[in-house]
Amino acid sequence: MAQQEKTETMEHLESATLEGKNKVLGFWLFLAAETVLFACLFGTYLALKGRNMGGPTAQELFDLTLVAVATGLLLTSSLTSVLAVNAMNLRKLKGVIFWLVVTVLLGLGFLILEIYEFIHYTHMGHTFVSSAFGSAFYTLVGTHGAHVTFGLFWIVGLIIQVAQRGITKETAPKVFLSTLYWHFIDVVWVFIFTLVYLLGKVG
Amino acid sequence: MEKENGANVHNKSQTLRYVIAFAVMVVLTVIAFYLVATNVVTVQLLVPILLILATVQVILQLYFFMHLDQKGSGFPILFMFTGAIAAVVSAVGIILM
Repeated sequence: MAQQEKTETMEHLESATLEGKNKVLGFWLFLAAETVLFACLFGTYLALKGRNMGGPTAQELFDLTLVAVATGLLLTSSLTSVLAVNAMNLRKLKGVIFWLVVTVLLGLGFLILEIYEFIHYTHMGHTFVSSAFGSAFYTLVGTHGAHVTFGLFWIVGLIIQVAQRGITKETAPKVFLSTLYWHFIDVVWVFIFTLVYLLGKVG
Repeated sequence: MEKENGANVHNKSQTLRYVIAFAVMVVLTVIAFYLVATNVVTVQLLVPILLILATVQVILQLYFFMHLDQKGSGFPILFMFTGAIAAVVSAVGIILM
């Protein structure tokens, strides 16, 4: 039993200390609350998506190729961040840093695409103040983009800290939480590309 | 040394699990985009199909990537389940308002 417990903590360094366990538990509570936050934004968007005030409609605006590329980038970054946790539990510092750097680069690519997309829409007359559709769209997708931006700063900070301090009982829960957050960003994006872009395209 | 090998083998199979889960998610995403791009099914049928595809993909994310398949995930599952119910009630409530 004691042996089993030991291998358990060997494999999951993020929950090796009580503090680490509590951080993970508290973070899940936060993610549950975030789910409700995004649900309200989704509800608002779906209720208002037809109110385009004579501006471009969702069908005219959205480009499926761009959305598909953005989805591919974010989904791949979700895989690379789980591989970082895997490398962490193997105590491979270089592996952790490598996969986190790849995650950040993919996330950055996603963010650049989103900024390009917003600029493109603005030129087409679809702005935050042009219609209720515009306000709801930019609030929902923009809140997600803000989460991506925050996640990028967070993970970059952790890459620096892990490079300096190594994989310890203190740094492991931090890396674990940042990847949970990153997966959650992808979870939200799954609903955004489904409810906003794909359903927007079929009208 | 032997133990380390054991951990390595364990994590190799873990990596394989992650890659398989990722491949399934990619397939689900491709199906969703394909259905919308080609209009092979009617809109009435398309909406529930897309919602099911998204829900399955999210559950895969939660269980495989966010480690809810591990022991001791009772409270996180309870939190997310409660959150999901509150989320659906809020979203549907706002839409119907």
